[in-house]
Amino acid sequence: MSERGTQLAVGERRGMRYGLGLLAWIVGALWIFPFAWTAFTSFKNEQDAQAQTLHHGLSFGRYSEVSHSTTGTLSLATAFTNSLVIVLVSTLIVLALAVPAAYALAIRQVPKWRDVLFFFISTKFLPVVASIFPIYVYAEKWNLIGTRQVLIILYIAMNLPLAIWMTRSFFMEVPRELIEAAEIDGTSLINQLRQVILPLAAPGIAATALLCLIFAWNEYFYAIQLNFANASTMPQWVLGNVSTRGNFLAKLSAASTIACLPVILAGWAAQKRMIRGLSMGAIK
Amino acid sequence: MEAADATLIRAGAKGRVGDPFSSPWRRRLPLLPALVVVIAITQLPFLVSIYYSFTNLKDKTQSLIPEPTKFVGFDNYKQIFSDPFFRQAMWTSVKMTVLAVVLSLVFGTLFAMLLDRKFFGQGLIRTLLITPFLLMPVVAALIWKQQMFSSLFGILNKVLTFLGLSSVAFISDHPLGSIVTVLVWQWTPFMMLIMLAGLQSQPADILEAAEVDGASAFGVFRQLTLPHLRRYLELGALLGSIYIIQAFDAVDVMTGGGPGSTNVPYFVYDESIGGGFRYGSASAYAIVVVIASIIIATFSLRVLSGLLKDEDRA
Amino acid sequence: MATVEYDAATRLYPGTSTPAVNQLNLAIADGELLVLVGPSGSGKSTALRMLAGLEPLDGGRILIGDQDVSGVRPRNRDVAMVFQNYALYPNLEVAQNMGFALRQQGIAKEERNQRVREVAKLLDLEPYLDRKPRNLSGGQRQRVAMGRAIVRHPQVFLMDEPLSNLDAKLRVQTRTELVELQHRLAATTVYVTHDQVEAMTMGDRVAVLRDGYLQQCDTPAILYHAPANLFVAGFIGSPAMNTLAVARTGPVEIAGTRIGVDDDLGGDRTVVGFRPEAVVVGSGSIAARIRVVEDLGSEVFVHVLIDHSGEERRLVARAEPPFPGQAGDSVQLGLRGAVHLFDEAEVRRATVTL
Repeated sequence: MSERGTQLAVGERRGMRYGLGLLAWIVGALWIFPFAWTAFTSFKNEQDAQAQTLHHGLSFGRYSEVSHSTTGTLSLATAFTNSLVIVLVSTLIVLALAVPAAYALAIRQVPKWRDVLFFFISTKFLPVVASIFPIYVYAEKWNLIGTRQVLIILYIAMNLPLAIWMTRSFFMEVPRELIEAAEIDGTSLINQLRQVILPLAAPGIAATALLCLIFAWNEYFYAIQLNFANASTMPQWVLGNVSTRGNFLAKLSAASTIACLPVILAGWAAQKRMIRGLSMGAIK
Repeated sequence: MEAADATLIRAGAKGRVGDPFSSPWRRRLPLLPALVVVIAITQLPFLVSIYYSFTNLKDKTQSLIPEPTKFVGFDNYKQIFSDPFFRQAMWTSVKMTVLAVVLSLVFGTLFAMLLDRKFFGQGLIRTLLITPFLLMPVVAALIWKQQMFSSLFGILNKVLTFLGLSSVAFISDHPLGSIVTVLVWQWTPFMMLIMLAGLQSQPADILEAAEVDGASAFGVFRQLTLPHLRRYLELGALLGSIYIIQAFDAVDVMTGGGPGSTNVPYFVYDESIGGGFRYGSASAYAIVVVIASIIIATFSLRVLSGLLKDEDRA
Repeated sequence: MATVEYDAATRLYPGTSTPAVNQLNLAIADGELLVLVGPSGSGKSTALRMLAGLEPLDGGRILIGDQDVSGVRPRNRDVAMVFQNYALYPNLEVAQNMGFALRQQGIAKEERNQRVREVAKLLDLEPYLDRKPRNLSGGQRQRVAMGRAIVRHPQVFLMDEPLSNLDAKLRVQTRTELVELQHRLAATTVYVTHDQVEAMTMGDRVAVLRDGYLQQCDTPAILYHAPANLFVAGFIGSPAMNTLAVARTGPVEIAGTRIGVDDDLGGDRTVVGFRPEAVVVGSGSIAARIRVVEDLGSEVFVHVLIDHSGEERRLVARAEPPFPGQAGDSVQLGLRGAVHLFDEAEVRRATVTL
């Protein structure tokens, strides 16, 4: 049987394949244009940036400008480190909590699992802007303002519902017979999870982890509200480069590009896995 | 190995892995850490918000006449129903969410169909299409605000004037449209990924059978592919709605509120730390939103969608 | 109903160097049930899909009736196909599945329903008309897949291993029903299977394929008694034909004993073959030792070992029950019946009847 997508689809003539391929190129180019142009702008100087010219001296000047830390403002290095730590720690903890929870919702199902799932989703109904005040009050009380911990904690709660939902779907895809066979072979429950279920669900879990990374890295509101300079994250650093006097378009472009680059690279590297993970059964 | 495990050999139960020997409490165990963590982190603010909503809590440093905080019962709630601005914000939220979700689903599906074949550079195009979703929402909003929509420097207006047309003040004249544009730009890739998964999960031989049976390309899509994609569309709509309803960054950056573009999150923000500092009443608004969301979600999930209507594990 | 012709049809998958189907020449008569059989990779499914239009041709032509359909899309070829995994439309009920093609043709609802009901009656599907495929058993799904094809009255029926997913008993039962149905409808049918028993019992003619090449296309009887080459000889018939390498010249000797076959094909002879029913246990001059006795009730297959040209060789003999021998016994074998002689190119050149 031929590989999916290589055969002509229903109704497709040979010529149409090239036409559609061309259309895909056009669509892709148009869609990425806003960001591509911004990345391009980051290499210009400010006058060219405002004039939106196509060419001129291009340099990395803006990048070195934004990378240099000036005292009193948030430095790239600090923001980057903070973001990295917060994102990695929170995502790891999310996965560590989501996997057992998904096990309890998919494989050895607890009664009323539907209600549990609904509860998790419902935690996202309270607007972040509303919960911020109580959170601030208590964070202040417990001396957590300006720390990484407070963001880690909040991001865990932010990402867990999605992680549990997705991981559960991937666990549902594991053939029951494999687990039963392992059971008969005397495998403990932990090892069933480790040796049978997780390897099969791995692409899906990778997709889940990636989504958690994306949402945590890009999160802006909590980061701004709960931080001073020393623990701030990349979103705040980007906005630190938005100046109200004059328009530093090129500088902002450079800052934006740097800030988004890690997630972009991660997403690019993992997109095939994301699709594969999603098609495995995020839908069940 | 625990003694109990050694006896868990009979997996006779249909559906989930048979477990006639462990109690429901034992099965709940792995769920508890996640549940406890989520409850601790989310319910505390929630309960406190409920408490505040029954008070007239304000930021004392902001008002000229300091008021002592006291219980006001349901006053905040009563006020909500007569507040036209809140109704306006709700309506804006509905418009914004529906437009953004529907448009990104449509575009996402179309793009997925376009990408569901092998052509030169398929991987590259897919990578490019995904990128907007990976950007920080504030960055995305800034890009559109300054690079694209800006009356002074924006590309779109430069193109318009180049073509001899008059420039358009996108953001001031079409605040909601501008915000929806950014949202759609960012969320279409997400929907596209889900729909791609859906298209690829459709067995090829069914499509072949339909073609042998004489169906045209459109016929196959309408009668077979679309019904198959329904669950994927529902998932996309659910996840998209949950996130887009809360959209704040785009509103803050693009328009800073203002008529026609203030959605509920921004409204609540305005009411509380964004300027109003009336935490009591802001909390009341938020609680109303939560209740409304629960009702809508319960209705959609249980009645309309098949997402949670799960058969036992096959 | 129509005739089908493969005219030097070839299919070469991109990125491979050997064609999956290599210059296939076949002429199928109107109303004939032709079976394409062969091991996996033989090209039989590919050949079927080429006829359906699901695989393009890289050489040659395919004709349905007198029309060259090589460039015609599947939906315009007026063929109906039963897929191996049935490919039933999951979101449609049985009745809608069966009426799907008619709907595409724009046939009115009344007529559609009537035709579907007719076929449902024919296949005993009436109680299931409003069920969805996921609520049907394997056998029921198979019948729906058949019904979906039958209701169309196409020019040609294509079947891609339709019975392989059924359990053994159901398979045998459905086999005969299928043949009856085909005769009743007088429908030109091309049927793919890897099971030579199916091929032999069902086909008007059987085409044996190997590695993309047609080995032989004849009636089952001719295939059985006059196989064109060693491959066909070994593929058709169960248990398989006994084959032994023999000296190129002189009388044929098995286990050092002359068997009475002197034809040496002018020195080209390399292999002799004879079926189990040609081996007589108990009388003869070939020394053998019994390995296993398979008693099927209606017949007995005796697996023996002989010492042939210094090596141990296994033979299968067919005997009538009751068979007194046991594993380990020494017996004498004789040959009575057809002995085929094959040359170096594995072609059967002569058959001697003892």
